[in-house]
Amino acid sequence: MTAIHKGGRVGIIGIGQSAFRPKRDDASYPDLVREATLMALEDAKLDFDGIQAVVYSLSPDAMVGIGNAERAGVDAVGARNKPFLRINTGGATGISSVAAAYYHVAAGACDVVLTAGADKVGECGDSQTVLNKIWDPTYERQLPLGTITMLAMSAIRYMDKYGMTQEDMARVVVKNRWQASKNPNAHLRRETTIDEVMASRMIAWPVKLFDCCPQSSGGGAMVLASERYIKERNLDAVWITGVGHCSETYYIGDRMGHGQLADHADAYALGRSMQRSYKMAGITEPKRQVHVAELYAPFSNTEFHSIEAAGLAEIGQSPAMVREGQFKIGHGIPVNPSGGTLCTNAIAVTAMIRVAEVALQVWGRAGGHQVEGARVGIASGNGGDHQFFGTMVVEA
Amino acid sequence: MSMKDKVGVIGVAIIPRAPEGGQSLEELLYEVGQLALKDAGITIEDIDGIVTGSNDQYDGRAISVMAASGSVGGVDRDILSTPSAGEHAFVMGVLRVASGQYRTHLVVAWSPTEASSLPEVQRLGNDPYYHRRLPLDEMASHALQAGALMHAVPGLEAMAQRVVEKNRGNGQHAHAGQMPAGGWAPKRFPLQDGMAAAPVTGAVAMVLASPDFVAEHKCGVAWVSGMGWATEAGYLGDRDLTQASSLEAAAKQAYDTAGITAPAGAFQVAEIADTTPYQELLAYEGLGLAPRAEWQARIDDGRFGPGGALPVNLSGGALSLNPVFCTGMIRIAEIARQVLGRAGPQQRAVHTGLAHAASGPAMMYNTVVVLTGNQGAVA
Repeated sequence: MTAIHKGGRVGIIGIGQSAFRPKRDDASYPDLVREATLMALEDAKLDFDGIQAVVYSLSPDAMVGIGNAERAGVDAVGARNKPFLRINTGGATGISSVAAAYYHVAAGACDVVLTAGADKVGECGDSQTVLNKIWDPTYERQLPLGTITMLAMSAIRYMDKYGMTQEDMARVVVKNRWQASKNPNAHLRRETTIDEVMASRMIAWPVKLFDCCPQSSGGGAMVLASERYIKERNLDAVWITGVGHCSETYYIGDRMGHGQLADHADAYALGRSMQRSYKMAGITEPKRQVHVAELYAPFSNTEFHSIEAAGLAEIGQSPAMVREGQFKIGHGIPVNPSGGTLCTNAIAVTAMIRVAEVALQVWGRAGGHQVEGARVGIASGNGGDHQFFGTMVVEA
Repeated sequence: MSMKDKVGVIGVAIIPRAPEGGQSLEELLYEVGQLALKDAGITIEDIDGIVTGSNDQYDGRAISVMAASGSVGGVDRDILSTPSAGEHAFVMGVLRVASGQYRTHLVVAWSPTEASSLPEVQRLGNDPYYHRRLPLDEMASHALQAGALMHAVPGLEAMAQRVVEKNRGNGQHAHAGQMPAGGWAPKRFPLQDGMAAAPVTGAVAMVLASPDFVAEHKCGVAWVSGMGWATEAGYLGDRDLTQASSLEAAAKQAYDTAGITAPAGAFQVAEIADTTPYQELLAYEGLGLAPRAEWQARIDDGRFGPGGALPVNLSGGALSLNPVFCTGMIRIAEIARQVLGRAGPQQRAVHTGLAHAASGPAMMYNTVVVLTGNQGAVA
């Protein structure tokens, strides 16, 4: 891959996100998509006529109970007779959709693109039953695999390799809940303690209830535009300067044992994806050059290997750094100042919200959870069985 | 839509009907990906990124790209996936290469038919409150569109029969021995027996490349000189099924980019969506090839026949072999083959070809691609 921007940069000019809740029985699924879309359009000071193309962000259809549910959202995003397509890379879908919108603009095909979506995970019945269907029907589906058990296995391997404790995991929960308490859009906003996390119900050892993300309902939307369009209209914008994706193996068994490409303790492909984004953005020393990070970590343990894959800590060192108080607002490079995926997870747009939150940070518009002086931020999204990873660098 | 950089198709592989039994989906996808790479004369090591198009419900897997990513070379690579339409993977691949971030892409779409009931799977795509209780699968939506068109255009059924004869005749030539024996009854009024083909399992892959990669590797190439894509409204009841407004919008995008002002005389070959013959007829108009008032005359003068000035669906189209979810990308791949001069027995002298893909209920999504050779006719 080669560095781009030869036709000008791609900017973010509008952001919309719901106040995420466990249920939104006041709104249908398309209503939620519309809600976020209208907020993003208002933020960009545009109406539907100003949007040239739409990228629809929706992960497994079964979460909303409608096959190819993007069709139900066409009118919610005002896409009739416009270029429209949907992206699905599982939990990474949101950041992959922002990337897809980015490529519409970077290719020169469009000046202004909307990406939008929503999810009603809190109303889908049982998300883990749906997510069990991501595994191969012959070899792995009959195991009690869900995203929780899948990443509990990662936690065990990470504990074994690097000495992480359950209390270390709890510190991530305490940090992110404290940060979420400052974010009015977060789902879980009540602060907690290490003792409370440790006392919460065991789900899949060592992952306890408070180590898990909630099932959230709400929508997200972003408007991207070309540098030419932004400058001609003297618009306020922040810039996507790095974009990358990378994939691991499908079979989890291929990430365990000796001689494998990736180890399930770590986030190999996330690291590779971050390297691609950093290279594009010209970032060579992330610990020095990155000011804020929104890293997709739906379970407390996965924030550690995500921090390391992003190059913000050496491999295996992030638990000790969290013990020292790092990675929180006001200390070093804050990670997930919004509270992150651990406090809000409407799967179809969760990874989009990571990009949106980092954009708000470098824009200086993050409100109560603003990281002072943030000018360069990074975002990530994970999808499939910890298989697909998307990353971005966003700069003021 | 205009693009900063040209993008070319340098490799094509089409498996319009996979052999039944003995091959898993992963094996089928490995085969089609490798065939496309071989056709391009490169290896997976030359591929920067991948985009796949597949449907979770047809595959029986949530996030169906997961199982496929290894087979198509996705491990440790940059891979994206679209489930809205197979041909959208092509669109996304072209945009990614045109962005300048990638020199090459492998785009792959597939369509298994192992779901116990395709109509039941498709009905899950209906709104759960208003439409799901109706027996409304995609073929039923195509039949509703056919009925609306028949009401609007007198004598249309006989024209539709002529389209079936043309395309299935072409199919016998292009796919000797692969077409299911006998006609298939779609059992959706007013579609007559034989006005659709039985769903089959298939896959398609293409290799896309930037101009500098093409020059460096001295590849044969079919340039994407125009591309457009658009959607209709989400609900059938909100649409006039006798019109194809999103097809017209997609065609305008593609033609504006390609600099085509008179499409009726601009192409030497075309592949057009024809899940039913009524789709092909409606597309003649939406693509600017023949307004409905001229359909009868064009059928009578054989313009779109195999010996006509603009042969349409020389591959036999979806009326001959219909791997449902990837049929659209196959239309683009067939035109790429024509422009590359690799179309085998149905090869024509082609400089510029037109591909049209339609997906979803009653041609909801429309994609139009204009492909052009380097210089002059290639065959």
